[in-house]
Amino acid sequence: MLRSISLTGRVKLGLAVAGLAFGVAAPYVFDRFVIGLISLALIAGLFAQSIDLLGGYAGLITLGHAGVSGTAAYGVGYMAAKVGAGFPAQIGMGLLAGMTASLIFGVMAMRSDGVYFIMVTLAQGMIVWGLSIRLFRITGAENGLTGIPRPPSVELYWQYYYLTLAVVVVSWILLGIIVNSPFGVSLKGLRESETRMRMLGYNTTGQKLYVFLLAGFFATLSGILLVYLNGFISPSTVILAASAIGVLEAILGGIGTLVGPMIGAFIIVFVQNVVSIYVARWPTLMGLLFVVVVLFARRGLVGAISDGWNRWLDRRGASTPQEPILTSSNQATGP
Amino acid sequence: MHDEPTAAGLATTPRAGGSGGVGDNARSWLVWGGTAVAFGVLIWWILTQMSLTAFFAQILNGLSFGAVLFFLASGFTLIFGLMRITNLAHGGFYLVGGYIGISVVRATGSFFLAMLVSALAIMVLGLFTERVLLRPIRGLEKPEVLLTIGLTFILGDMSLAIWGGDPTPIPKPDFLNGALDIGGFVYPRYRVFVIACAVVVGAILFWVEKRTRWGAMVRAGVDDRETVAALGINIKAVFTGAFMFGAFLAGFAGVIGGAFLTLLPGQDFEVLLFALAVVIIGGLGSLKGAALGVVIVGLIDSFGKALIPELSFFTLFAPMAIILVLRPRGLLGRE
Repeated sequence: MLRSISLTGRVKLGLAVAGLAFGVAAPYVFDRFVIGLISLALIAGLFAQSIDLLGGYAGLITLGHAGVSGTAAYGVGYMAAKVGAGFPAQIGMGLLAGMTASLIFGVMAMRSDGVYFIMVTLAQGMIVWGLSIRLFRITGAENGLTGIPRPPSVELYWQYYYLTLAVVVVSWILLGIIVNSPFGVSLKGLRESETRMRMLGYNTTGQKLYVFLLAGFFATLSGILLVYLNGFISPSTVILAASAIGVLEAILGGIGTLVGPMIGAFIIVFVQNVVSIYVARWPTLMGLLFVVVVLFARRGLVGAISDGWNRWLDRRGASTPQEPILTSSNQATGP
Repeated sequence: MHDEPTAAGLATTPRAGGSGGVGDNARSWLVWGGTAVAFGVLIWWILTQMSLTAFFAQILNGLSFGAVLFFLASGFTLIFGLMRITNLAHGGFYLVGGYIGISVVRATGSFFLAMLVSALAIMVLGLFTERVLLRPIRGLEKPEVLLTIGLTFILGDMSLAIWGGDPTPIPKPDFLNGALDIGGFVYPRYRVFVIACAVVVGAILFWVEKRTRWGAMVRAGVDDRETVAALGINIKAVFTGAFMFGAFLAGFAGVIGGAFLTLLPGQDFEVLLFALAVVIIGGLGSLKGAALGVVIVGLIDSFGKALIPELSFFTLFAPMAIILVLRPRGLLGRE
């Protein structure tokens, strides 16, 4: 059976199996602290993947995605800390809040593209942040909402880790199905030229709303996972930097792929936690990383690796074409 | 001079967009009539909530805040109109400009020297940003935006490291302290000064744009960069000049705004949000749009803060959402 898959496919399959085996074995190898970090990185990776669904596949880069995941997290937190409702109600409220925010933001943003889309989503994220610090009765303002316990069967750190792993793996598979579906392929058309897609008869506005809702759903999942992992939610979860880090992770790992954002998230989460021990200037480092990645590494790690891999395959006689993503210019479609 | 006819020709180039008189007349009357009625009802409702004196004070509060935003938004919109660069570091420029102003006032005691030094320092920062950071990725819209957001994180964190995190107002010059008394209506002198400054600067900008050779080059550049370059105008120099001028205004705004809004970490993103709201509502790339946008955003913010303080950020959201859905390029934006 393996013979029917290409060499690249077999390598990918092998890496996926190895990654999953590592994920399952991790709690037997690492201590509580590291497992906590891996859980955090998995959640950040899911968040970055949902950003990449918009940014990498559909070409709609968002700087307000933490506004969506944060709204979901606040929905859970409000039901847990302020209402005292049960877990089904908490999670239901989280989903409802996250998807409502996605719908409103999506309708607002669906007619814009390119840099306008970035500006609109940035403003949306900032407004969620503004509400989180001022709407005291719901969000607890600067102090946030604390005392949000995990559901009984996933209370322990390793139990919650396995839940996180399961949700992330299932989401990853779903995302894989989405991006390889005809709809996913049409998103790439949207990225390359919205005008041409419209001329081909696609309802691009509807496409954009639909992909925004899908990305919003996965962001919502990551927000709900995060709030139970931390046990609290505060405005720092929805600041602009949270959205921007998601974008940075996606680009650093390799935009337009699903594995890239996950790798980027692991790098950023571990670097941030290690660096924060030694220096207090993490935002500066993050900003520098942003500048360096944008200037010199727009195709990210996965892009660099697949370039090298393809060169190696070339020498063996087979080649695959690559697609430009962040390198393509939108000048022609500007107003 | 051989290029005189060219300049005259450029100056008479008709401007697209704006009020475009091809629309259905009846429909346009309905829209304007409806807007007028809604506006009347809104003012009537506001007047039932506050006294007439408070109403006028809020209008001046809104206009003075809008005046600060005008210095930011006019530069932002100029840079975008010419180069299609969305400079998200504009908020960072504002904050650093304000902090440099504080240091200058502390060292020399002169507020006006601080204005000049800050504006010039930020102009140099703008030169560096455009020439060194943005030039290598010129024309790649999305990487440009992401680079400027990274730069904002660096600027914000470095400001925190150098000037600390305490909210700091810039000391005002003596003759601008205290209140102005016009027939029993008392209002802070400084805010009147800020409004006057914005009116003067705005008038100069409109005059330069309409009547001078520089303005003609900028307008021509906004309309058609390639042709301008082909006509022998050094478009790159115009770009750099415009970017530096936008940065100059942002540094100036930092000092003039820092004296009554106080400077604190995170304000870079706050003023950025307001500047984005201005250009989203008013329309990107046009000075008129920026002027209209700052009045609208300033008034919404000041009345929002007075009437529904819990939702003060959120009050921007509804008008932005309505405009984005109905006119994605803003009120005076070009399609």
